[in-house]
Amino acid sequence: MNRKRLLILILAWIFLLIKVSHGKTPLESLVPKKDLPKAWALIEGPHIYTKKTLFKHINGQAELYFKYGFRESVFAIYQDRKNSKNQIEVDIYDMGNVIQAFGIFSRFRNEDRPGGFGLDSFFDEHSALFYKGKYFVMVYAEESNSDPLRQFCKLISSMISDPSPPPEEIGYFPKSGFKPGSIQYFSEGFLGHQFLEKGFQGTYIEQVEVKAKAEAGSEDKDKAKTERKEFHLFLAIFKNPEDALSGLTIYKDYLTRKGEVSLETPVGFGPHSFRAEDPYQGQVIVVQKGFYLLGVGGFEKEKDAENLLKEFMKNTR
Amino acid sequence: MGRRRFIKTISSTLLGIAAPNILKAKSSLGKGEKNPNLEYRTLGRTGLKVTAVSMGVMNCSDPAVLQRAFDLGVNFYDTADCYMHGHNEEMVGKAFEGKRQKVFIQTKVHAHDEKKMMASVEKSLHRLQTDYIDVLVWHGHSTPEEVSDPRLFEFMSKMKKEGKVRFAGFSAHSKMASLLREAAKSNFHDVALVSYNFTHSKALKEAVALAAKSGIGVVAMKTQTGGYKKEKMGGLSPHQAALKYILMDENVSAAIPGVTTIEQIEECTTVMGASFSKGDLSELKQYQSFLQGRICTMCGGCVGECPDGVSYGDLLRFVMYRDGYESDGLVREASEQSMMLRNIERCSGCPSCSIVCRRGVDIQAQIQMAKQILLV
Repeated sequence: MNRKRLLILILAWIFLLIKVSHGKTPLESLVPKKDLPKAWALIEGPHIYTKKTLFKHINGQAELYFKYGFRESVFAIYQDRKNSKNQIEVDIYDMGNVIQAFGIFSRFRNEDRPGGFGLDSFFDEHSALFYKGKYFVMVYAEESNSDPLRQFCKLISSMISDPSPPPEEIGYFPKSGFKPGSIQYFSEGFLGHQFLEKGFQGTYIEQVEVKAKAEAGSEDKDKAKTERKEFHLFLAIFKNPEDALSGLTIYKDYLTRKGEVSLETPVGFGPHSFRAEDPYQGQVIVVQKGFYLLGVGGFEKEKDAENLLKEFMKNTR
Repeated sequence: MGRRRFIKTISSTLLGIAAPNILKAKSSLGKGEKNPNLEYRTLGRTGLKVTAVSMGVMNCSDPAVLQRAFDLGVNFYDTADCYMHGHNEEMVGKAFEGKRQKVFIQTKVHAHDEKKMMASVEKSLHRLQTDYIDVLVWHGHSTPEEVSDPRLFEFMSKMKKEGKVRFAGFSAHSKMASLLREAAKSNFHDVALVSYNFTHSKALKEAVALAAKSGIGVVAMKTQTGGYKKEKMGGLSPHQAALKYILMDENVSAAIPGVTTIEQIEECTTVMGASFSKGDLSELKQYQSFLQGRICTMCGGCVGECPDGVSYGDLLRFVMYRDGYESDGLVREASEQSMMLRNIERCSGCPSCSIVCRRGVDIQAQIQMAKQILLV
């Protein structure tokens, strides 16, 4: 065997080894055991939870994790040596892939308070959440513990080697009017419907004029003032374009019965689209593109909403 | 034998519970029926008139589902401080903004020191966007001592005095019958949220009646017995029948099926005012057959008692959660964990377990399974 062949064989072997070991990092190894924040020590765990045992750790909440593809998780408790009551708990969840990890993260985050770790994060003085690759991480403390919380998060994040980028669908959402940190991924019951299954939703802000009653004694009658109002862009995901088209029909049929569907197809969105009044989402425009149903709902300024949806469509590959 | 009597007899035999008065031979409402005949029941001594089919919000993903439930007339909603890191309460608060006076909200608190409990209540009020909680329940009581703990009673009394809580109660996943009997002895609790479904024993049914008679409003959860999915049961969908069955017990003030979509709440609410039919009975029989010997359904009908007083029911519940719900139940209770581990170690090593299941579940095998689950 010549040297060239031997080199190729070694490289192939290394490649195979990397391939096989990729994503198989024992979850336990992500629990920090060294380089801990000063005066902090691991006092309990790591405890591993599987699909069979997660309920004993978080009981009913486990069901939500299962909806997001939960594989296994690890839990540990750290203690401040100077104050034994001061403890920090760490939960690291393997959700199978980055979409599911983002999904569960998005369901727990309720506002935009990034902490600067993972692919995206939420941080306050009592808790920190982030996701990176297929992992969702929760770190929490009963006492106010900003600094060690942040340090633990950074430490765990640095130990996660999963290089997966964030779900590409996040990048489809236009920036104009976007409410930061508002994108959520739902793995089922999207928009409250069984037939829409899974999808992403992002919140937008529009300034709408509302008539305010003038104060007593004021000479002005009805004053116009602007108010911030939220509406949504959404993207339902189907297995194939045929299913997406079928989803469009089912949604339209539902709104024909429960809401009010405009007889005219909205201009500029192609034949596979409709405009309607959804009893719970408000005004909606829905369009099928490839595997997706894209839509805007709950808006008041029609033109702006149309333009946003067009940009959303353009971004969607 | 007349049709009515036939159904009654079969029901009593197969389901192990007599259901004489409400069982009717008439067919149930059609599946297409979307406007429910609202049925209100009094929630014990609270006097609140709640819809017989109410809603467990725990896994609900979109406020649209809550709004649909509201439009259908559902007026009683169960959430908890810990569901989705508090977001579940937030969703309830947001969905019922401007409608607060038209709904009754039940949420939960865990037993801690007073400072933490106060903080928990304040957070719930904030997230629910309200000045008061209609019903605040202790999350997951498991012993009679907890049910009659004067410290907890004092806390609830204080919350009531301050106007933050209107009525108080407790929730329980196991030992429901003994906890209800204990609760019936005092006026500590206005409401009891308990697992209760068609597989449960006569003992629980009697305890529910006793509690109701003492003025406690009984709210039934886990009414669908583990929530097996259609595909796992060859297309069988006994959810409506299971709900109807539990509502036949007039001592139940409300059932709170866990609902996640608009379609599910529509399906559940059509049960109100509907008769329990022969078809329903057939479905429940099949469902019962499916469950028979498969899992512990927490019916409370175990024969024998553990001489060491191990709470084996809790261990069996874990197996039900795994096999039935693929997890359900409530609460994060880290403190319970160590007790569970101690119990399973004592239990699985015991050479003389004398507990027998009347429904054919192999208790010892279940305990071994729980051991595997708990000690992985």
